Amino acid sequence: MRISTVWMYQQQLSTMLNQQSALAQTQNEVSTGNAINVASDNPTGAAQIVGLNHILAQNTQYSSNINSANTRLSTESTTLTSINNLLSSVNDIGLGAINGAMSSTDRGNMATQLTQYRDQLVQLANTTDANGQALFAGTSTTATPFVMNSSTGAVTYAGNDQQSYTAIGSGLQVASGDAGSPIFMSLPAGNGSFVSSAGSGNTGTLVVGANSVTNTAAWGAATASGPVNDTITFGANGSYSVTDASGNPVTDSSGNPVTGTYTDGGSISFNGITIGMSGTPSAGDTVKVQSDNASNTQDVFTTLNNMIATLQSGGSSTSINNSLNRQLESLNQAMNAVSTAQVSVGSRIDTLQQQSTSYSDLTLTYKSALSDVQNVDMATAISNLSLQSTALQASQQVFAKVQGTSLFDYLR
Amino acid sequence: MSSMLNIGISGLNAAQVALSTVSNNIANASTSGYSEESVLQSEAVTSNTSQYTIGSGVNVVAVQRAYSQYLTQALWSSNSSLQGATTTNDLTTSLNGFLANSGNLQTALDNLYSGFSSVANAPGSSSVRQAALGSASSLTTVFNTLGQQLSKQSTQVNQQIGSTVGSINTIATQIAKLNGQIKQAGTTGNPNALLDQRDTLVQKLAGLTGISASTNNDGSISVYTSAGGTLVSGTQSYALSSGANQYDPGSTDVFDSGGNDITSQLSGGTLGALISYRDTVLQPAQNALGQSAIALASSVNAQQAAGLDLNGQQGQPIFGVSSPSVLPSGKNSSSAATVSASVSNLSQLTTSDYVLRYTGAGTGTNGWTLATTGGQNVALTANANGTLSADGLTFSVSGTAQTGDSYEIQPTRGASTSLSTVLTDPKGIAAAAALTASAGTANTGTGKAGSVSVTNAANSNLLAGATITFGAGGNYSIADGAGNTTTGTYTAGQPIAADGWSLSLSGAPASGDTFKVAANTNGLNDNSNALSLAALSDTGVLSGGKVSVIASYATLTAQIGSAGSQASAEVTTQTNIYNQAMSTQQSYAGVNLNQEAANLVQFQQAYQASAQVISSAEQIFTSLITAIQQG
Repeated sequence: MRISTVWMYQQQLSTMLNQQSALAQTQNEVSTGNAINVASDNPTGAAQIVGLNHILAQNTQYSSNINSANTRLSTESTTLTSINNLLSSVNDIGLGAINGAMSSTDRGNMATQLTQYRDQLVQLANTTDANGQALFAGTSTTATPFVMNSSTGAVTYAGNDQQSYTAIGSGLQVASGDAGSPIFMSLPAGNGSFVSSAGSGNTGTLVVGANSVTNTAAWGAATASGPVNDTITFGANGSYSVTDASGNPVTDSSGNPVTGTYTDGGSISFNGITIGMSGTPSAGDTVKVQSDNASNTQDVFTTLNNMIATLQSGGSSTSINNSLNRQLESLNQAMNAVSTAQVSVGSRIDTLQQQSTSYSDLTLTYKSALSDVQNVDMATAISNLSLQSTALQASQQVFAKVQGTSLFDYLR
Repeated sequence: MSSMLNIGISGLNAAQVALSTVSNNIANASTSGYSEESVLQSEAVTSNTSQYTIGSGVNVVAVQRAYSQYLTQALWSSNSSLQGATTTNDLTTSLNGFLANSGNLQTALDNLYSGFSSVANAPGSSSVRQAALGSASSLTTVFNTLGQQLSKQSTQVNQQIGSTVGSINTIATQIAKLNGQIKQAGTTGNPNALLDQRDTLVQKLAGLTGISASTNNDGSISVYTSAGGTLVSGTQSYALSSGANQYDPGSTDVFDSGGNDITSQLSGGTLGALISYRDTVLQPAQNALGQSAIALASSVNAQQAAGLDLNGQQGQPIFGVSSPSVLPSGKNSSSAATVSASVSNLSQLTTSDYVLRYTGAGTGTNGWTLATTGGQNVALTANANGTLSADGLTFSVSGTAQTGDSYEIQPTRGASTSLSTVLTDPKGIAAAAALTASAGTANTGTGKAGSVSVTNAANSNLLAGATITFGAGGNYSIADGAGNTTTGTYTAGQPIAADGWSLSLSGAPASGDTFKVAANTNGLNDNSNALSLAALSDTGVLSGGKVSVIASYATLTAQIGSAGSQASAEVTTQTNIYNQAMSTQQSYAGVNLNQEAANLVQFQQAYQASAQVISSAEQIFTSLITAIQQG
């Protein structure tokens, strides 16, 4: 085929230019390590990179959320442990006051100790997190959710009942705090189902002790039509009868009125509940049985205040024991509430840790996926580089050779 | 004797012409557009006087150029394609560069959502809030920068369309002039240099825009545009002109000599590529980027409005973005109506541009019809308040429209450059839920108040608070803080709604139970709305609620990337095709120096031989004279 001399030169030149630009592209890939420098290098890959980077950014954020929630919940867990220890100490003091033969000075000292514990409890309940936000304020902005009246010792709650959540995954949220009200404030009275208390006008030595629901079905039947508000009235020699709020006799499952005779250290059972007692009632002494409802609650600070007041009252040991027994029941409710919160916080911390581990794994997976798309395969790229540079050298040598072949050179 | 001398002279002349032609070939070996020339010789006509015939030398008939109309035309058309592909490739390469170098939108978006997440982790911290606002304004900058780069390129493309039209006109004039000179030289005159020049010009013209050409009997060439209009006919050239689009003054259209808009009919060459790039790559990219910007601004602002900021106020917008542009046609009647447009449904918003046309009462919807700029009809819905809706947009018209008036709607084009961060107070981030619900303390039923969600943030009584009181049979009445009372019947699992909020209850409320819904002003450390803001990162807001803002950006990346890789593949293909055409044409019409060297030797020898003939004739003549003198 006939060839135009100029075109031949141009063709060789453009071949070299193309090889040079391919070489530069490979060089760029090798030096940046990126297979995709602009979207047109690989449009699908570029869109994948956007998606993968987004997922990685989200995982990073979720991990950081987990850290933040973890810090807050760990602080809460530590605080709850301290509170639990404190309440145990209070419980020990209460039990000591019941069992021991205490002088009024001893009781006075115990009251002073309890006062300190109460103040400490208020401080613990007002603990703040790393950002200065109160742990137990719900979602309120207040820094001191528990405000103590310095003269009465009564504590009011300024927070709210809401919980804050932390996002630890798409559509996955974990509560990062607890409101103070269920832990400290709205605690059920008595044993959690009912309150059994000796009448204030009692003259005997009857002390109401441990009491509980022993037959859930019977108790459920008794409370089905509304809250129970019964009174046990003692007659002579420990005989007793039970009446309801309207003064009508309370009947057992067979329809017979509940009656019996109580002996010291024994217990009275009806409606599925058992009330342990000690001491001897005088005729006319009463014991009230009230089932819990929403308004029948007592906060832990009131419990402490009541214990302090009882110890300072200088009353008879029967009234002190009766009163302390009731307060220790309430204290038990408070300790239950704290334990429940602790378990809940612990399980949340567990969830966070599991999620955190799965994010580390996922991040690795996504990073390797990203690297597959984004990063250049060095082995291939470098072998391409040497291949292309060899090809360019060859073209240059050919050009030099061909350039020297002209018929004019031989016509002399 | 004289015949021998004459034959010798004719040979000498022919060789001289051939030598000159060879010299000219060698001299023009590197001239672009030069066609190799050769001498056409013929044996001189002889008078047949006796029994035998003696030739009477050689005639030089013509100096011809090597020319194949077919090959040259193929070269022109492949040049059109090549220049078009090169132009597109240059533009898409810049476009991909803008995308890579204008800051990473995905990172900026994720930073914003992370910022909201951090606010959720510490709703009361003003430094964290400030950082989130900082992310919002960097995101705005990235959108603005990218948007501005695209508009700059749009301006540049439009200017280039104008200047290309200018170049086309100049070349057309030159071709017409050469047509005249070639006609004068006559068809038999073989004005090779002029023809080569004209072919070169036509090739250049083909590079600027797609053309078709035909040669006439008088040697002149007629050139037509891809739209079918005449550019050159004989010695007459017909100028194209460029001017503003009837709707968009920033967009350049091309008109033929009769003033008709032929923009959409032009294809091939630089001009065709510029127009096609502007309409099919750049504008869709601008629209898609704007759509992402609107999606971001609307979704974040809507979520803001569903929460309370740290001041206890309903959240104010974080982002500002321009409303859709409405561009009335320059041809509208002087008393044309004013049309305004707004985005009313984000999930239906498309990346199309539209033309809204008044077709007169009794036609269309309220006399109006809507079509995309691509010509696809879009059904309009008439709303009760007199406005019209389609594709997530709502149009309202004021004034009296005249039949034939039209308006171009660009819903998203300018959004990315107009995006701004309008919230400056870090306390303004609405992290807390707007409303909270609580059950009455004296309730006897098992009903528990769940979450209150905001369904219509624009309701003026949203934060007024309300008390829900249950009666018998699940009937309830809602008395809101503004004094309105509504009633309803509760079905388990169904929310109770009023005043733009919706409350979910669990359990069974008893008769006489009350529930309170109130502004969450006592819970400003709440983070539930901040969590919702952060969750927007994966929330589908576009295309019927399926595509998130980040996903729309990924689509844009793929779209721009594909345009780039297609253009680059096209340029490779077209270069090969052009090279093939050029190679074939050059192998026919190009100068081969080896061939010229051989020719040089050949004609040199022919010259020497003819000179020898003359010399021999002289010797014979001398011998004859000498013989006569001696005799």
